[in-house]
Amino acid sequence: MFVQLLFLLSAVLTVGCAVAVAVTKNIMHSCIFLLGSLIGIAGLYATLGADFVAVTQIMVYVGGIVILMLFAVMLTGGKDFASRAQNLLGLAPTMGNKWTYGIGLFVGLVFLLTNIKLLSSIMKSYPEKTFGNEFPSTVSQIGHLLVKDHVLAFELSSVLLLGALVGAAIIARPRKQ
Amino acid sequence: MISLISYLLISLVLFIVGLVVMISRKNIVAILLGIELILNAAALNFVAYSRFVTNNLDGHIFSLFIIVVAAAEAAVGLAIVIRFFQIKETIHIDEATQLRN
Repeated sequence: MFVQLLFLLSAVLTVGCAVAVAVTKNIMHSCIFLLGSLIGIAGLYATLGADFVAVTQIMVYVGGIVILMLFAVMLTGGKDFASRAQNLLGLAPTMGNKWTYGIGLFVGLVFLLTNIKLLSSIMKSYPEKTFGNEFPSTVSQIGHLLVKDHVLAFELSSVLLLGALVGAAIIARPRKQ
Repeated sequence: MISLISYLLISLVLFIVGLVVMISRKNIVAILLGIELILNAAALNFVAYSRFVTNNLDGHIFSLFIIVVAAAEAAVGLAIVIRFFQIKETIHIDEATQLRN
């Protein structure tokens, strides 16, 4: 029951904030809505029993990436260059017109209707396991997996992070002249 | 009961919204926001399949690496954005037409 409630709240938060990211004109507000969406995704991870991934999501995304984005917005002025809304569809700051949406919707519907049997058979080919409400801790298992099976990717990610750190510091250094 | 398809639908919505943000915005930081949404949709799919289809935790590991790569990408991307703003005084995406002056 609690899991369903958490899933419902997280799903509404995730989808609503994601749509708000696309619709809002202000980039600063978009960043704040992205933060809400990422918190919702962390809640979805929690309903999937992925406690370590949920905590990592909150720490890295909410504590790091969104703050970095906010600083980038503030350092670069935060102007949005979207054109003014011409009609109802133009309320979302998209560059297409009505025909683009119409053609896209039509092609999507034709694809869905012609392939619906194939898609449903693909969906049924995965036997879904049903779980109860038990959520064992995954931290120790993830730790063992990281240093046994996935040790190469683990070490390479440290090299990647070092490269990203040094590269970001070199690229964003102030101009000398 | 919550099933796999509900997570897949949320992930689909996130992916489409991220794609719309990526192709409709003219601000480079907003495009990076769209990329973050798409990466999160992929990571959510990995964890959902890891719970409902397989029994192991490889999906969690892959999701963690997606988060690591997204952090590195955001750091380097925002450094490039700030450098671009120092040179061009704007972050309109259509101004980024050359690698070198």
